[in-house]
Amino acid sequence: MEGTRDAILRQLRMARSMEVPKRIQLPPPYEAAMTREEWIEKFAAKLGEQTGVFYRTADTTGVLEILSNLVRQEGLKNVIASEDGLITALNLKLWGADQGVSVSFPHDFKDRKDYQDTVFNHADAGMTAADFAVAESGTLAIIHDKSNARLLSLAPALHIAVVEAKNVVPVYESVMESVFLNGQSPSQLCFITGPSMTADIQGQMFKGMHGPRKLIVIMVG
Amino acid sequence: MEIKTRQFKAVARQELNNPNSRIFLDLLPVVLSSLRQLAMASFPDPEAAQRLGGIIRAEALSRLPELLEQFEKNALKAGAKVFWAGDAHAANAYILELARNNQVDFVTKGKSMVTEEMGINEVLEKNGIEVYETDLGEFIAQLLKRPPFHIVGPAANVPPPEIRDIFIEKGIMENPTVDPRELGYAARLYLRDRFSRMKMGITGINFAVAETGTIINVENEGNIRFNKSSPKIQVSVMTLEKVIPNLKDAMHMLRLVSRNCTGQHIGAYASMDTGPRKKDEMDGPDELHIIILDNGRTRLYQNVKTRQALQCIRCGGCLNICPVFGIIGGFPYGWVYSGPMGQLLTPLLLGLSGCHDHIWACTGCGACKANCPAGIDHPRVLHYLREMEVQGEKSLDAVPPPFTEDMAYKAFSVIASNPTLWKLTSKIIRTVLNRNAQDGKLSKGPGPLETWLAGRDFPQMGDKTFHERWKEIENNPPKAVLEN
Amino acid sequence: MKTVSLFVPCIVDLFLPDIGEAMARLLKRLGLSLVYHDAQTCCGQPAFHGGRNPEAVKLAKRFIEIFENDETIVCPSGSCVVMVKKHYPELLADDPAWLKRAQAVAERIFELSEFIVDIMGIADVGASFSGKVAYHESCQLSRELGVVEQPKTLIRAVNGTELVPLNGAAVCCGFGGHFSVTYADISEALVKEKAVHYIASKADLLVISEPGCFLNINGYLSRNHPEHKAMHIAEFLAGKQN
Repeated sequence: MEGTRDAILRQLRMARSMEVPKRIQLPPPYEAAMTREEWIEKFAAKLGEQTGVFYRTADTTGVLEILSNLVRQEGLKNVIASEDGLITALNLKLWGADQGVSVSFPHDFKDRKDYQDTVFNHADAGMTAADFAVAESGTLAIIHDKSNARLLSLAPALHIAVVEAKNVVPVYESVMESVFLNGQSPSQLCFITGPSMTADIQGQMFKGMHGPRKLIVIMVG
Repeated sequence: MEIKTRQFKAVARQELNNPNSRIFLDLLPVVLSSLRQLAMASFPDPEAAQRLGGIIRAEALSRLPELLEQFEKNALKAGAKVFWAGDAHAANAYILELARNNQVDFVTKGKSMVTEEMGINEVLEKNGIEVYETDLGEFIAQLLKRPPFHIVGPAANVPPPEIRDIFIEKGIMENPTVDPRELGYAARLYLRDRFSRMKMGITGINFAVAETGTIINVENEGNIRFNKSSPKIQVSVMTLEKVIPNLKDAMHMLRLVSRNCTGQHIGAYASMDTGPRKKDEMDGPDELHIIILDNGRTRLYQNVKTRQALQCIRCGGCLNICPVFGIIGGFPYGWVYSGPMGQLLTPLLLGLSGCHDHIWACTGCGACKANCPAGIDHPRVLHYLREMEVQGEKSLDAVPPPFTEDMAYKAFSVIASNPTLWKLTSKIIRTVLNRNAQDGKLSKGPGPLETWLAGRDFPQMGDKTFHERWKEIENNPPKAVLEN
Repeated sequence: MKTVSLFVPCIVDLFLPDIGEAMARLLKRLGLSLVYHDAQTCCGQPAFHGGRNPEAVKLAKRFIEIFENDETIVCPSGSCVVMVKKHYPELLADDPAWLKRAQAVAERIFELSEFIVDIMGIADVGASFSGKVAYHESCQLSRELGVVEQPKTLIRAVNGTELVPLNGAAVCCGFGGHFSVTYADISEALVKEKAVHYIASKADLLVISEPGCFLNINGYLSRNHPEHKAMHIAEFLAGKQN
C-alpha cells in the first residue's frame, strides 16, 4: 500500500506545472561597499538600537578588565561560561577566584539536570563566544555545539558575548557561507539580535521576556 | 480549534463596538506600517527586494515535491526523524504516541499557527497531558480560552486588568499589578519552571531549507529557543509549503518576514537546527521529530488558480495593512488564519460553504497584494473564489447563491446590453428612488440601499442622466476659467 | 483638433451626471473635440467583482465593440479603467481574437488626470479655487494604475489652491461596490475614519478621483458633517456650474 509520503509526493507531481517568474538581481547591499571598521561601527549602532551594550578592546587582558568592571556594575556572583577557545583562553576560573565570582563550565556538571539547575536558577550571567558579528542588523551568530551550549545565551538574565573583530561580516549570507561548508551543518546556529523582548501586552515593548534582559558584546581586536 | 467561520458578521459587529480591540487596531496602521516602511528602506531597492521574495516563494512552490524530498533526505542524514502526516488527525496521533512512550506529562509550545490548525492542544489535554503555550500573548489567550486575535499579537487586545485577574486566579502571580513588564515577568517565572523540567517541546517552523535539511524559527521572546534547547524531545511541525530551496533564499526571506511582520530588521532570535544535538553537546534535544503535514495542501496545490495561497510565509503583514481587519480584528474570521491571508487559506482549507463572508468581506483595495513579501495576489484569488462560489463548484465545497441573485445579475446584464432598456430602466430607478428623496438626497428608505442609508446619504437622481444631457453638453461652447 | 471618446461610468451616468458633464467641459476647454457613444452603459465591473464572469464577459465584448475604433478613451474613474485595461484581457484570455481586441482597447484608455498630465502634458488646466485642498488616493487608481502624482499635480496647479497632507490618504474609504451595502457597518466605520482624517487636515475641500469613493465619502459627510465638502476632481478642475 502506498504510504502517506509517497501519496503526497505523487499528487504534487501530478499537478500541472506553472510558469515561474525569472529571478531578478538585487543591487548589492549597502554593507558591500563598507570597510571592516564601518561594519564594526554599524554593528555597534544596530546593537545599540536593541539596547545591546558594546565594548571593544585589544586583547584578553582588556576583556578581563571589562569583565571585572561588569562584576561590580551588575553585581555578578555566579557566571556560567562556554568552553569555546576564545573563552577558555581567558582563564576565567583564576580570574573569578580573584574577583570573588564563581565561574562554572557546562562540562563541570555531572549531568544535564545539574547543569540546567545552574543555568536556570543560579547563574547571574551566561558568557559565550560568538562566531560572527553581522553588521547589517547588529546580529551575533553563535554555533551551538559541544563548546557553546545553547542555554548559556538564553537562560541567565545577562548574556555576555565575546567576538573577535576579524569575525565581523557584512550580511547574513557571509555567515552561511562560512558555517555550512561541505555538507557539514551545526546542530544549531543561532542569530541573536539584542535581548529577548515582547510587546504582547497592549503593544508595550519591554526587554527580557523569556531570555536575557541585557546583552553585552565585547569585541576583541 | 473550534471553527466559527459562519459567525463572521455577528462577531464583526461585536468587535466594531469593542473598545479593547479598538485600542490595538487603531495603532496598527500608524505604528506598524511606518516601522515596516522604515525597515524596508534598509534595502537599496525595497521594491525589488519584495519582488524577489515573491519569486523565491513561487519558485519553491513550483519545485515543491523535489524540494520536500531533498529536505527530507538532508534532515534524515542529520539525524532528524521525519514523519509525513496526511491530516491533522495523523499528526496529532503521532505526537500523542510520542508523548506517551516517553512518559511526558506536560509539553511546552512555541507559537505556531499550524499546531492551532491541528488542534493538538485539545488532543493532548483530553489525554491527560498538560499543554503550556509559552509565547506571552498565546499564553494569555490560552488561559482566557480565547482564539488568537492577531497572528503576531494573539492577546494584544486584552486589557492588563483582565490579565492580572486571570494570572491571580491561576496562581501565576501573587501580587496584583497591571504593569505589562511585571505581568510579563510573572509569566516568565512561571514558564521558566516548566522550561527547566520539560521533556518535550513543540514548535512550528518558519522555513525548512531543502539544501541542508535545516529548520528555521524566528521569534522575539526566546520561548521557541527554550523549546529547542532544554527538552529531550523536540517536535517541529511544518506544512508542505514551508520548504525553501537554499540558505541564501532563506536569509532573504528572513529579512522580509521580520520587516513585514513587526517592522524589525530581524527578530531577536533566529534559530536554525540541522538534526538533534550531537554527542558531547550539553543541551538540545536527543530526538528531533519533524512532522511534514499536508492537511489539505496537496488538494489546494492541484488547482493552479489557488496554488499561490501556499506562497504565504505567515508574516501577518496583510493583517496590519488590511482596512477591514483594521476595523474588525482577528476574531470574526473564526479560525486560525485571519485577515487577507485567512480569507484565502480558510475557505481553501475548510471549504467554501462555511466561509462565505471570507470571500466577500473585501473592498478590493489591493493593499494586501501591494505589501505581500511572498508575491500573493489576494484580490485575484478572492475573485476566483467568488466565481467558484457563484458556480457552486463542488471540488471547493461551494454552495451557490440563491436563484434570485442569479436572476438579478442576468437582468442587469440584459439591461446593460441594450441602450433602450438601459434608458428605460434609468427612468424607473429615478421614479422609485426619488420617492423617498428630500432636499436633493435620500436619507432613508427600503430596498437594496437600506443598509447604506443607515449611516450615509445617497444623491437624489437628477432630472436627466448623462445620456440625456449629452446633446446640450455637446453643443455648449467651452467656458473660460471658472471659479469654484 | 484631437478627438477623445468619453467613457462615462454607469454610476456617473445615473447618479452623478455632473461629474460627466464637468469632465466634458474640462476637456473641451483644453481644446479637445469629444465624442460620446450613446450605446455605452456599464463596463461590467459590478458583475466582475460579483464573481459573475459570463455576465462580465458579455459586457466586456459589448464595450470593446463600441469603443474599439476610438483613438483615445478617457474616463473619470480609475476602477472602470482598471476593469477595461486589466480585467478584460484576463476575462478574454482564452479567446485569442477577443484578447487581441481587448488589448488594443486597453492601450487606448486613460483615467482623466492620467490623460491630462501624462498624455496632454498639462498641469495647469486654468481653474482656480481659493483654499486648502486634501486629496483622497483611491485604491484602484493608485495601486493598479499607479496614478498617484497626476491628480496632485493638477490640484497644485489650480490657482489659489494649497494641497495639504491627508493622514491615511491611501487607506481605502470602505466603498468596494457591493461591499458598502453587504458589509455596511464595516464600510461605514472605514468612511468615518476617512472623514475624521479629512476634518483633521483642516482642508476646505476633499478632492476625490473615483466616483465610487465620492458617493461613499460624500454620502457620509452629507449625513454627518454637512459643513465639510467633497468634490470629484473633474468638477474641481472644471469649476462647478451652479
